[in-house]
Amino acid sequence: MGCNQFEEMISDYIDGALETGEHTMIERHLADCESCRALRDDLLQLVHFSRHLPEHTPSNAVWTAIQTQVKAERRVGLRQRVARWMARLEERNFSLSLPQLAAGALALILVAVVLSVVLRRETGQSLETASVTGASAINKNLLSYPDLKQIEERISQLESSVEQRKASWTLDLRQAFERNLAYVNQSLIECRQQINGHPEDKVSEELMLNAYREKVRLLEGFEAF
Amino acid sequence: MRVTARKHPLRLPASFALVLFLCASQAISWERFEKTYKAKDRSHLTISNIRGQVTVAAWSKRVISVRAVTDPEVDVEDEVSKEEIEISVKKESKLGRADFEVFAPADTSVTIKNVIGKIEVRGINGHVSVKSFDSDVRLIGIRAPSVEVRITGGDIYFDGELQEEGDYSFQSMKGDIEMSLPASSRFRLKARALSENINLGEFLSNFKDMIKGSKEISGSYRNDGPKLSITTYAGRILFHKK
Repeated sequence: MGCNQFEEMISDYIDGALETGEHTMIERHLADCESCRALRDDLLQLVHFSRHLPEHTPSNAVWTAIQTQVKAERRVGLRQRVARWMARLEERNFSLSLPQLAAGALALILVAVVLSVVLRRETGQSLETASVTGASAINKNLLSYPDLKQIEERISQLESSVEQRKASWTLDLRQAFERNLAYVNQSLIECRQQINGHPEDKVSEELMLNAYREKVRLLEGFEAF
Repeated sequence: MRVTARKHPLRLPASFALVLFLCASQAISWERFEKTYKAKDRSHLTISNIRGQVTVAAWSKRVISVRAVTDPEVDVEDEVSKEEIEISVKKESKLGRADFEVFAPADTSVTIKNVIGKIEVRGINGHVSVKSFDSDVRLIGIRAPSVEVRITGGDIYFDGELQEEGDYSFQSMKGDIEMSLPASSRFRLKARALSENINLGEFLSNFKDMIKGSKEISGSYRNDGPKLSITTYAGRILFHKK
């Protein structure tokens, strides 16, 4: 794997969305390429810090402008589709009697009603199933640990505290912190990838919980400065 | 007779060099902390550092000698109560560097806390605990009843003997962990390496009840023995038989 290919795949790598083979290729490349390792660490930091950026709500004027634009595009699209359909109809020559037309309309209504009922039922069921399986997988993998939520809350508190103190740190202390935080975050990403690929993987679950604890220890350690 | 003072041609450059030397020596001046403490039976020594090396070695004298060379802004303080001796760098010391060299009786229990800097412990038989973030840790000639090493980034090297009923735990988030143990050792192992391999070396033969997964090896070497737990997230676990 070259650096260009790595750069194409790094987003998926950080999101944990790569296949096992691709992940291994990336890992091999990272082991040999210092500049890509630096890029990965930078991106991890970026992802980490962007989570703490304040949320901004767009003004009403912005929303109105977006709505107007979307409506205009829809109108143009609808007009074009109707015109195309009419043109096709005009090309054909239909001659139907009144009873034939009435029977056809009735059949269409019946088909539409049956389809809507069936579709609604299936969609409801599949959504329900998806939400149940998704929730149970998450529960099984993450939320079954009663203290995980507390750990995440603690991490969030510590991160904002450390962020305020960082300005007074020496360069090497800051670099050591960033480097070690990147190690922990990378470990968490890998644990999540493993768990996503193998939801029953207890070892990865334990390792992930342990990595969370290590993150707390790191942040607590540096919060003192 | 007229006596004239001859001007020395090197006077000006020599004076300039002297001034430069004095300025430079001022800029790189080091402070020293040097103290000895009477060691009681099984004293417990804690060194809390921030930046710099910490070396602890066993010797035959019944005293604990602590020497530190520090940046001028670093304050080192000590606290002694019964068998507890605690030496620490003050956190508000502008994060200057302090390198510690400690000699202690072999039966001393040692706790080392650091943030950045190498750590080495030699010949200690008391409990050993090392917690740091950015440190390579070397433990040599250790015969401690318990060892705990926890670091975020750095390699760990352990050379020593495991004691019966002992408890040994080593963890690094990024770094190799190497264990050099006598062939006569017995231990119950739980080794985990998230992204790299675990190599039991010559301990693989006679390894019993082995459960081997993609990231974990557990089991016992020569039945039962002390508990040995090793975890690295990005690094290898290697065993060497002595």
